[in-house]
Amino acid sequence: MSAAAVATARPALGRDIRALLGELMKLDHITGGLVVAPDGLVIAADLPREVEAEPLSALAATLGRELELRGPQLRRGTFPMAQFASVSGSAFLGSTPVGFILLLGEPQADNDTVRGALRAAVGTVYRAWAR
Amino acid sequence: MAFARIWHMLGGGRRRRPTSAQVFRQAQRLRDDGRFEDAAELVADALIREPDSVVGHLLAGSLHMTLRETGQARTSFERVLALEPTQPRALLGLARIALEDGETVACRDLLSRALARYPDFPEARALLDVARGLSVAPEPKRPATPAATAVPAPAPTPIAAPAAAPAARAVPTATTRPEPATAAKELPPAERLRLPSESREALFMRPDATLVFAEPRGPRTEAVAARAVKLARIATAVLARAGFGPLRHAVIEGAAETTYLRTDDAALLTLAFDRDVTAATAISHLERVWGTYRSELA
Repeated sequence: MSAAAVATARPALGRDIRALLGELMKLDHITGGLVVAPDGLVIAADLPREVEAEPLSALAATLGRELELRGPQLRRGTFPMAQFASVSGSAFLGSTPVGFILLLGEPQADNDTVRGALRAAVGTVYRAWAR
Repeated sequence: MAFARIWHMLGGGRRRRPTSAQVFRQAQRLRDDGRFEDAAELVADALIREPDSVVGHLLAGSLHMTLRETGQARTSFERVLALEPTQPRALLGLARIALEDGETVACRDLLSRALARYPDFPEARALLDVARGLSVAPEPKRPATPAATAVPAPAPTPIAAPAAAPAARAVPTATTRPEPATAAKELPPAERLRLPSESREALFMRPDATLVFAEPRGPRTEAVAARAVKLARIATAVLARAGFGPLRHAVIEGAAETTYLRTDDAALLTLAFDRDVTAATAISHLERVWGTYRSELA
């Protein structure tokens, strides 16, 4: 699935955060994902069996909040997307009014494509929630 | 028919007011549907009728957090603890707020209390690991110390850098105000500190948040450096929980600019660019500056 596919999704998709996560999970070399509320509670998760949802979601929400509060460079709640990479994989994090979308990617994942798709998904959620 | 009229007059036909438990369940459903304001309104109304409801205050705290109303969330969680001193979700909620506020010791205490009562609490354990890592870091105000450790060669990472680095500019020494005199000698020569002209901000620091270099430098620079280190530590914890190795690269898109981060066990570099600078160009700059700085520190 391309970033454009997410971008052109109907606004209703932004209300159905689980469906949106399902679409993002179709990206090549994405191995897992979750949506977590700012208080750390899991809203939706599709993770590899060996990855525990609760501690990962608690940390993802903490990371998301840290980015939202980061400083004068970023207005509160306006960081749309971030990527954190190690040699063995990446975590992509998007901020929405509902909470944070976390995607896990293999090293082979096309970073630009994933970031673009996540950015588009975040925009979709914002548009849906603005209605 | 007459019986029905009498029944209605006696109040039997009147809809019963839902119990607080029913209202809280309804609020939880609204919350799950993303209707946070509606849920918060229901909870607030129910708490007027039942002010000592642990469930109600917990739900209120959770909703306030979701709405990014941290102060009100704190009040709700504190109310829960007044009613039930070891309530784990309230302890976790307050610990998260403490971590956000940089109150690491308070965060650790709250999480330890939660784990003492409920040892099998994976969220609390994950956050405590992060808080412990942060608490061992010295305050960022400490003067820089000489870099004594050898620097390993940067490992290849998923965010690959283009081979050619675009043109760079020399950093004006007037804006490069080093830390105390002891640190000044170790700073790379100004003529070798070449930053890309597109860069809006550059920070180079050690893992304990000791600032090595900043351009430009202002009154909040050290605080920003400390936050960058904190961010890197939380990100490393996220990666570890996902089964990945430690953080090496990050790209953080903001409203007006994008920050690129490069790090290893011994140092951390951030460069901020306007949003119109392409990722390829920015990463190319990042790798070149990283290589220069690391060789200077080795």
